[in-house]
Amino acid sequence: MQTKRLTWGLLALSTPFSLLAQELPDLGSTRPVTSGSAFNPAISVILDGRYYRDSVDGEGTEIVGEALGFHGHHEEGHEHGGVSPGFSLAETEVALTASVDNYLDAYLGLAVTEHGIEIEEAYGLTRALPAGLQLKMGKFFSGIGYINSQHAHQWDFVDNALNYQLIFGDHGLNDTGLQLTWAPGWGTYTVFGVEALQGSNEAFANHIGEVAHEFVAGGLSTQDGPRLFTAFAKWAPDLGADHALQGGLSWGRASLHQEQHAHDGEVNFLEGDSWFAGTDWVYKYDTGRPYGEGAFRLQAEYLYRVKDLTVAAKEQVEGPAVGAERVFTQDGLYVQGVYGIAPRWTAGLRYDVVGLTNERDSGTATDDFDSSSRIAAAVSFKPSEFSLVRLQYSQNSIMVGEAEREKFNQVWLQYQLALGAHGAHRF
Amino acid sequence: MKRVFIGLLAWVAALAAAQAEVNVVATTSSMGMLARTVGGDAVTVTVLAPPDRDAHFLQARPSMMAALRRADLLVAVGAELEVGWLPAALQGAANPRINPGQRGYFEAAAQVELIGSGGAADRSLGDVHPAGNPHINLDPERMARVARILAERLATLDAARAEHYRAHAEAFAVQVETRLPRWRERVAGAPGVVLHHKDADYLMKELGVAILGYVEAIPGIPPSAHHLSSLVEALRGQPGVILHARHQPAQGAQFLGRNLNWPVKALPIDPPIEAGAEEYFALIEAWVEAIAAGRP
Repeated sequence: MQTKRLTWGLLALSTPFSLLAQELPDLGSTRPVTSGSAFNPAISVILDGRYYRDSVDGEGTEIVGEALGFHGHHEEGHEHGGVSPGFSLAETEVALTASVDNYLDAYLGLAVTEHGIEIEEAYGLTRALPAGLQLKMGKFFSGIGYINSQHAHQWDFVDNALNYQLIFGDHGLNDTGLQLTWAPGWGTYTVFGVEALQGSNEAFANHIGEVAHEFVAGGLSTQDGPRLFTAFAKWAPDLGADHALQGGLSWGRASLHQEQHAHDGEVNFLEGDSWFAGTDWVYKYDTGRPYGEGAFRLQAEYLYRVKDLTVAAKEQVEGPAVGAERVFTQDGLYVQGVYGIAPRWTAGLRYDVVGLTNERDSGTATDDFDSSSRIAAAVSFKPSEFSLVRLQYSQNSIMVGEAEREKFNQVWLQYQLALGAHGAHRF
Repeated sequence: MKRVFIGLLAWVAALAAAQAEVNVVATTSSMGMLARTVGGDAVTVTVLAPPDRDAHFLQARPSMMAALRRADLLVAVGAELEVGWLPAALQGAANPRINPGQRGYFEAAAQVELIGSGGAADRSLGDVHPAGNPHINLDPERMARVARILAERLATLDAARAEHYRAHAEAFAVQVETRLPRWRERVAGAPGVVLHHKDADYLMKELGVAILGYVEAIPGIPPSAHHLSSLVEALRGQPGVILHARHQPAQGAQFLGRNLNWPVKALPIDPPIEAGAEEYFALIEAWVEAIAAGRP
């Protein structure tokens, strides 16, 4: 009985190999016709350059990144990489993809800047799991929301949506770990996903760990990863060839989030946990007319985030007591529409608002801050599928202090050039 | 109890066998036509790209992934025609049966000889296909060959109906062979055509019709005024006809038509979405008639 079972098992195991080994001449080639050279990964490079001006002496992008209620890591002398006025080069994206074997595909995305090379994504993705399961391992953009897993060159505007930028930082939720998705194969497109991530997102799941600080009181705890878990679901009814709609729900929780707050000579450390929930909706209309004329996209995403922290350590006697509660509750929404105004031309409008809920609860008192908002208009011209020129104008109204609102304008002129392999974009 | 269970099992198995149609997803309606023609009532066919739009420039929609998720066989045109959306749709579908290299992956272009292969992979020449011209769907002879190979593929997925598939493919090929001479005769002596894109090159070769030029100077890029006026210069005084696909912009073709005094005709390059062989032959006939209309 035991032997028989073993034989069957071996037979089952050997089947895929024998199928692979033997070419199937009579049945026609199962291989795609491709210009990709044998065994080499498909390589693509995206060049991204800008010209930028604003009405606040070039500090516009920094001010946006420090909107009241969101900026959670005030390190002493910490400079944010704001975009300086004039010409600049954004991250140059170098992407390599290939099948590893019949079980795995792999992707490597590098962000090259004047300051060095950063690994944006580096992951393996299964291609042969049964029942609609896929496992992703490595460093990647989380599957939560809609815009989060898009690369900068796929955005319809020069900059990221404000709620993502402020809740998850400049690069969105990008972390190292595992992702499991399941497409059950129902009549309507449905996907469920869960992720276990290390928890190294500066804005939401920050881990300072053992630091060389002289604490006068308290201390910071350490915790082994994974410290960040997410879950998401996407659903899309079949509306025919002209219309497409997709809705999604996302949730995530970080079991450890630590922040350093340094101002007025005081350095305090906060520690606790955090969670978020969000919903994302995309509608696309395609006329089928040449060069995207008349096509329309509408997308909107809402994120709600709570950081439940306490003062864990401080470097001076003054300041709040260790153990004092600090609960931050913020949210953000963006709505954007893009329309094909002429062959190869699109015009887009985006409205961002963050801090509709914008509270800091310190146990004894709750501060309620005003919201910040931004309106952006962009016109893009795509000479071909592989190049783009975009002009964007943004009007910002950002809270920079408890009763201080900064209003300013930004203008961007951007080009994007795609070299190499013809990429295929997910919906 | 045991007998009831076995009976139930047999009933379920019989039910499954009766309904075991091969679930085929075709990228274009031409591929859908082939699958329907060869598969008959043994297959169900879903077409991803409707014939009224350009298969180069589609987006990977979630409904495509839902269809691919459940497919037993994917029939694509291939040669990178669908490169902008099919890989993404396949990855989103999470269906290992239809991955490239598996029995469930079938590319029509991989089964026949392509024209224009080995060209320069240089994008300054436009949206080129160095692997070869993928638009084989308007070539009835190549389609007949693809049908025969598709029958063999279906036979490996559904051995019980192997003869059924082969007979259907054979019948299609016979139809092509009997119609081709009539089509060739109909266009004999036609002065030639100007096409918008290289999507009817195979048909012109098959029918022996000269291609006098292309409205598009560079594939995928709208023509410049300079290119159009130099075409007019080169072709002035001789007869011909201008043909373009319905989803392609008409302005360039209309400009040429006005200046050369040639008829201009917009035609589909794929049959209707639910088409069988008859609709496909009707499409070829429409092209044949349009070519013949170029005679002065």
